[in-house]
Amino acid sequence: MIEIPELIVPFLPWIRGVAGLALVGAIFLGAMGAVWIERKLSADIQFRYGPMRVGKFGLLQLVADAIKLFTKEDLRPKNADRLLFDNAPIFLMSSVFLMLVAIPVGAVFIGGVEYPLAVTEMDISILYIEAMSSISIFGVFMMSYGSNNKYSLLGAFRNFARMVGYEVPLGITVISVAVMTGSLNIVEIAQGQGLVWNIFLQPIGFVVFFIALMADMGRLPFDQNESEEELVAGWITEYSGMRFGLGFFAEYIHMILGSFLVALLFLGGWNVPAFVANNPVLGLIAPTGFLLLKAVLVLCTIVMLRWAVPRYRIDQVVDLSWKKLLPLSLLNLVWAVGLGLYLGV
Amino acid sequence: MSGIIDSYIPVAIFLAVGLIMPPMTMFIVKQLSPRSKAANKYTTYESGSVPTGTARIQFNVEYYLYAIAFVLFDIEVLFLYPWATVYKGHGITSVAVIEMLVFIFVLLFGYLYLWKKEALTWVK
Repeated sequence: MIEIPELIVPFLPWIRGVAGLALVGAIFLGAMGAVWIERKLSADIQFRYGPMRVGKFGLLQLVADAIKLFTKEDLRPKNADRLLFDNAPIFLMSSVFLMLVAIPVGAVFIGGVEYPLAVTEMDISILYIEAMSSISIFGVFMMSYGSNNKYSLLGAFRNFARMVGYEVPLGITVISVAVMTGSLNIVEIAQGQGLVWNIFLQPIGFVVFFIALMADMGRLPFDQNESEEELVAGWITEYSGMRFGLGFFAEYIHMILGSFLVALLFLGGWNVPAFVANNPVLGLIAPTGFLLLKAVLVLCTIVMLRWAVPRYRIDQVVDLSWKKLLPLSLLNLVWAVGLGLYLGV
Repeated sequence: MSGIIDSYIPVAIFLAVGLIMPPMTMFIVKQLSPRSKAANKYTTYESGSVPTGTARIQFNVEYYLYAIAFVLFDIEVLFLYPWATVYKGHGITSVAVIEMLVFIFVLLFGYLYLWKKEALTWVK
């Protein structure tokens, strides 16, 4: 154990909170990386080059884009609802920040003792993360409704229908994961997968969770609120410049955090074999690196699914959630309870 | 008790940063960006034609059916959260599991009723 001086113990949460702000910077870089991965991967799938000009392999393209966004005019249409239109991107951004605070991004082993790299550890972190994830959907809804544009409003309607459908299977699959460790703390859930990953114990749960999460994040094939071809980008039709950038970035951060959630809840988190964890050098980097690798792989899968599956019609989306995923998630819950009792973990 | 409060202090810090940072970004944008006044720029986009009528229309009543079903099932999920943490290792396992199975089956019954009443069908 690391000795913590008696004097600073009362201030530890404050120190963790302020030090955790470094994570905000990291996640912004991560979001830029995610946009780059998405553009490059999409280009590869479509036999294009993607960003090439700015920097090596177009790596600085996102920096150029950010500069462009900073120098664009902040435009608000006359008819837009001023309060909603101006504040929705801020709302969206702060909700993903609040989601970020509870997600562990890795762990370090010092002298064989595990220290999870989470800004804060709460007893109910998974419930909290889910709540914040749902709140970010309201930000999307505020953006579309506040625009006072017919396309955006159609997007808002579809977003609402999708949002209410997928929250329930998502919640139930999260509970079936929590049942295995008997804890709602995401750190304990990740640690509990040292022997077997949850994906092997609950394959149905994984599929339901992944689909519901895709819908929650509004990624294709579930981007009915955006539908570039019919709704001309739906919820962001009226947005431009930095306000668009904030909403867009918040969505990408949400996607990264979603990939982390999949890796933590189903793909074994940062667990590594004991000989790696006890190695003084590998113990510092291997668990975090392993988690990061899994999260990036999940992210790439999400991006590739975008080009593999066409967008669903809204009635298909609603049917999928209420008539297929909901019974499946309940089935998975019963299975998880039985499994938990059988394994006695 | 202080442990619970402590774990939410970083949340408060992040909330403050999350609320301050975007307006600051917008402030910087305001300093850097050009501005020009042209009435047409501020019209609502409607594929290039002049917008007709308002976009503030009423929701279809179908949405409310989904919303009510959502509230019902979300409350069910809410009951399951605390249950998931205590059903094992507190000496109440068999009672807790049977109770929860009864609870789920009662809800399943309501779910089948909703399905049969076509409340979960988008286009009737």
